[in-house]
Amino acid sequence: MLRRAFSIAGLRRRSPGRTERGAAGDTGRGGPAEIDVIYRVVGAATRWMESLRSGDFVSVLGPLGNRFPIPQGKRRVWLVAGGVGLPPMLWLAEALHAEGVHTTAFCGAQSASLMPLSLEAGVSPDRAGAQATLAAVEFARYGIPVVLSTDDGSLGFHGHVGGALQAFVASSPPAGDELVVYTCGPERMMRFVAEFCAARGVECYVCMERAMACGTGTCQSCVVAVHDDADAEGWSYRLCCTEGPVFAAPRIMWERA
Amino acid sequence: MLMTDSAGTSDAVDLSVDLAGIRLANPLMTASGTSGYGTEYADLMDLKRLGAFVTKAISPEPRKGNPPERTAETRGGMLNAIGLANVGLEAFVRDKVPFLRALGIPVIINVVGHRLEDYCTVCRTLDAVDCVAGLELNVSCPNVADGLEFGTDARRLERLVATVRREVRRAKLIVKLSPNVTDIAETARGAIAGGAEALSVINTVVGMAININTWKPVLANRTGGLSGPAIKPVAVYMVNRVYTQVARAAGIPIIGMGGITDWRDAVEFLLAGATALAVGTALFVDPRTPLQICEGLAEYLRARGLRTVRELIGQLR
Repeated sequence: MLRRAFSIAGLRRRSPGRTERGAAGDTGRGGPAEIDVIYRVVGAATRWMESLRSGDFVSVLGPLGNRFPIPQGKRRVWLVAGGVGLPPMLWLAEALHAEGVHTTAFCGAQSASLMPLSLEAGVSPDRAGAQATLAAVEFARYGIPVVLSTDDGSLGFHGHVGGALQAFVASSPPAGDELVVYTCGPERMMRFVAEFCAARGVECYVCMERAMACGTGTCQSCVVAVHDDADAEGWSYRLCCTEGPVFAAPRIMWERA
Repeated sequence: MLMTDSAGTSDAVDLSVDLAGIRLANPLMTASGTSGYGTEYADLMDLKRLGAFVTKAISPEPRKGNPPERTAETRGGMLNAIGLANVGLEAFVRDKVPFLRALGIPVIINVVGHRLEDYCTVCRTLDAVDCVAGLELNVSCPNVADGLEFGTDARRLERLVATVRREVRRAKLIVKLSPNVTDIAETARGAIAGGAEALSVINTVVGMAININTWKPVLANRTGGLSGPAIKPVAVYMVNRVYTQVARAAGIPIIGMGGITDWRDAVEFLLAGATALAVGTALFVDPRTPLQICEGLAEYLRARGLRTVRELIGQLR
């Protein structure tokens, strides 16, 4: 009955006779647009979405919430995605490519069949996790190499995406002040990435997920606990729908989140 | 433009109602807790076209609310246990009232507390705020003193309302009744005896959802309030029960609520005895719902040759 929140994986403005890619952060306001949504079928609503055909009418409320800040003066970006946390990373990858930022992606999934990427023919991902390769079509089109990992070892690095991150760092350690990390995926994974970055003085942004009823700030369902000096107890709840979903990682109070 | 011009002022059809002396251009209101303080929906609907706006619950002090998960969708509805998160009385008056005043429609404030003095403090302060047309007491919160809900015992409710009554001189006093009682007519009687000038029927129905993988409740609060279409038949029955057993004879109007999603639901509640109607959970799906209901209601009246929406109130055969 309620609407569901989906991240936007891409946007194309449509004008009579032509379709052009929209820049990341483009609200699509002022004309028809196509948006890309990537989802995994998990329940009644996504089963219904799977049954949709071209030309079907769908009611959409959006775009809602904030966006990833594009790095200023940083030369390298790492995108760290776990499972269905991938979609917003694709649009971000496109935007970073347009900005000319040197980007590497890390994508983890439970197993090869759940990896939401198309593999480049003839390119095999590094099983040691120490090398990024142009293995995924979605990133290769922006010249972005990717480190793939699976929990069961059926594709790429055997282990979770945090393990792949560690293996990669061991072979090519980054300079902390040059790097920005963006992550989206299961909360445990994002917490690992956030703490990994904090320990190395690396700027990090997390894209949080919460159950929502309204998406517009009224129902107060989707709270995220953040450190807050202005609060007497030192923390407060922020709404994922209007103040997020992207938060600077050090703000998140993981033990309460 | 989100809606057509027929809402509220359709030619030859009068949608206005009188709610205990508060004149509503149409019977449609927001239900407390589902439309924030107004600003959240300002871009999505024309709030000025509502009959009245009802805020989320205000307590004397700011409240952070419950930890997540706070809501869970269920078949035909949803459970919520937000924990009455709100900015507190002081910040509400300072930061939120100016927007509500500018709406130019009657504003009703939902009031909550854990002790008698909490209700008195909030009501006394807000009674002095010019744009506040009504104060709706949320009595489904456990009293910290005895751990029991104010709203589930007729005599405790009567005492609460009578005490608050002495603090309120100008605004209309509305009591929101809990359905989680043996006979809602009893608590309705208590509220009226205490001095309630209107009744909101019903609040959410207590419920629980369990995660079968973790064997834990889905909500951090364990239980929550069920709302949405799933509770509509319960709400229609209770509106009719309160109307026929207590409110009609006492001349006390009812604000009907509980799963109202379209104009057909609205007609049912009016026939059952409601004077005004609040839309809650349906706003989460489409904030324009109340205005669409107005249009549907006007169309229904026109088709039946009725001139005013008041001709429907309590006409259940």
